[in-house]
Amino acid sequence: MTIYDIIFYLFAAITVLSAFLVVTAKNIVHSAFYLLFTFFGVAGLYVLLGADFIAIVQIMVYVGGILILLLFGVMLTNKITSVEIKSGTIHVLPAVIGLGLFAAFVLSTMMTTKWKSNPAELPFTTVYDLGYILINEYVLIFELLGILLLIALIGAASIARKDKE
Amino acid sequence: MDASLLTENLSYILPEIVISAALIIIVLFDLIFHNDKRIIPYLAVAGLAVAGFFIIDQFSFEGSAFATSSSANNFGMITVDNFGSFFKLFVVCVSILIVFFSFSSEEIQKTFDRLGEYYALIFGMILGMIILVSASDLILIYLALELLSLSSYVLAGFTKLRDRNSEASLKYLIFGGVSSGLMLFGISIIYGMTGTTNLYLINPLLQAPNLNLITVSFAMILIFTGIGYKISSAPFHFWTPDVYEGAPIVITAFLSVASKAAGFALLIRLIKTTFVTFTSPDGYWQLINAFDWQALLIIISIFTMTLGNFTALWQNNLKRMLAYSSIAHAGYLLLGLVVMSDQGLTAILIYFVFYALMNLGAFYIIMLIANKTGSEEIDDYTGLGSAAPFLGVSLAIFLVSLTGLPPTAGFIGKLYIFIALVDAKMIAVAIIALLNTVVSLYYYVRVLKHMYLQKSDSPKDAILPSTGQILFILILLVPTLLFGVYFTPIVTFAKNSISLLGF
Repeated sequence: MTIYDIIFYLFAAITVLSAFLVVTAKNIVHSAFYLLFTFFGVAGLYVLLGADFIAIVQIMVYVGGILILLLFGVMLTNKITSVEIKSGTIHVLPAVIGLGLFAAFVLSTMMTTKWKSNPAELPFTTVYDLGYILINEYVLIFELLGILLLIALIGAASIARKDKE
Repeated sequence: MDASLLTENLSYILPEIVISAALIIIVLFDLIFHNDKRIIPYLAVAGLAVAGFFIIDQFSFEGSAFATSSSANNFGMITVDNFGSFFKLFVVCVSILIVFFSFSSEEIQKTFDRLGEYYALIFGMILGMIILVSASDLILIYLALELLSLSSYVLAGFTKLRDRNSEASLKYLIFGGVSSGLMLFGISIIYGMTGTTNLYLINPLLQAPNLNLITVSFAMILIFTGIGYKISSAPFHFWTPDVYEGAPIVITAFLSVASKAAGFALLIRLIKTTFVTFTSPDGYWQLINAFDWQALLIIISIFTMTLGNFTALWQNNLKRMLAYSSIAHAGYLLLGLVVMSDQGLTAILIYFVFYALMNLGAFYIIMLIANKTGSEEIDDYTGLGSAAPFLGVSLAIFLVSLTGLPPTAGFIGKLYIFIALVDAKMIAVAIIALLNTVVSLYYYVRVLKHMYLQKSDSPKDAILPSTGQILFILILLVPTLLFGVYFTPIVTFAKNSISLLGF
């Protein structure tokens, strides 16, 4: 086990554990704070993969933007912290069996599959290449993403708007 | 990408560009002219007509655009072929009908000051669908699917006037989120094994020896989750009844026809470009021995139509009943794919044209009746046959066509599917489908029984549709009857539209 493996398992553990706490926490503010660690763990995994730009975007957009907005939303909404969140569990046994089988299946296929790997050395920085590819070969996808975001914006405005009866 | 290459690539996606431009014009128009929203629907129709012109222009033209540097043979992300053009034209025609549909919908007219948003979201759906039917790259497929889903989530809860509206939207969102997450997981597994997202490049890589076939099957089942959700096939159909019942009827009709067609086009393109090695002279596809699509699809289609038909028997809400009927129809359509032949594909295309006519017609009449009575419950249809003679007769014809009885178009659609099954020597499957059709007769005819044979306690007010509405019904009704006896043009058109690039 190399040092990279240890770092990987560390970040993976942080991600999974905090994600588990996000869904089980009774207090919605706690959930939001656990989400911080989930995002942070994922950012760590990106760094480990050599995806420096995505890691920074993850920190800046998710932790810096979305999470803060989420917390603002929670704190500015009246009485939301005292709302009882229904997080009861039903059908525990079937769920455990189903998920266990699924996990075992995923694990066994993941371990036995011969994955395609490119033994390329990590680039010094990915920002340049990423920008170049996005505006060249993947320009269609880039533009379509723009439209997707526009639709998301219109949709969000449409949902949030108060209807005049 | 230099300028000349870019212009060449752009010429392949002219319909998509027109739809995007129309979307942006609608948004801008809505922002600039607050008070004159009546023009927006006409803008939408104009945009769709121009896009339709470019699609017809693309017929019998094949090509591939937006190739990445790693892709050999110049197979890019967008594929232009007759198959794609057929479905693009289908989506655009249905969308034009949906725009006229919206004119007479009271639910939509009540939200008149949000008309700009409504059409912007409709165009988001259209753009997602026409890219979906021509995409041959997994990233683009996923993105187009998300664009389609995102717009439909909002539209399903667009009117916000009733609780069940928001419930529909939320249910759709949650189910959609889960299935698109699973699909993305499947895509990432395929990318991890092959190192490419291009469907044409995955094909030879899947033929490589010592490939772990269990992992391929696993990934394909996950990808099918995302597609099965779009075409509402069992066991991914749970959202369908609730969403179809809760959403505005216009959106229900749009989802049940166009969205389903886009999902089917994606499934067919995925199977044919990724898993087929060659087509034998008699039209049967030779599949790569990596994943048994045929077995999976047989099970899913039988399960889907049986479940859809039998659950529809107990429904008392007409929208809910048509939701289950649309699940059953997804099952029949999958049968056309089960045979894995050009004949089956032709049958699917024919079926879709007829299905669009009769399903849109049925939903339109239900909407006109709901506009007056405010209800879609089957008990409120008692005695409607005499209160609204024209609507009653038209609804009867559409429902008979949905059952698949002659002399309506629905019969011809089913006939071609059954012929394809019998020719492929799948007699047992054909018999199950036939028995299913018999079952479906019960719940369609039940509506007719309520309309004509039962006496209502209180006299019903007469429902008189306007001239425009009668015209719209006739546009759907006349072909439904005409294609039942004279269907050669549609069959020829479908036969010319089955060619996919490279096969």
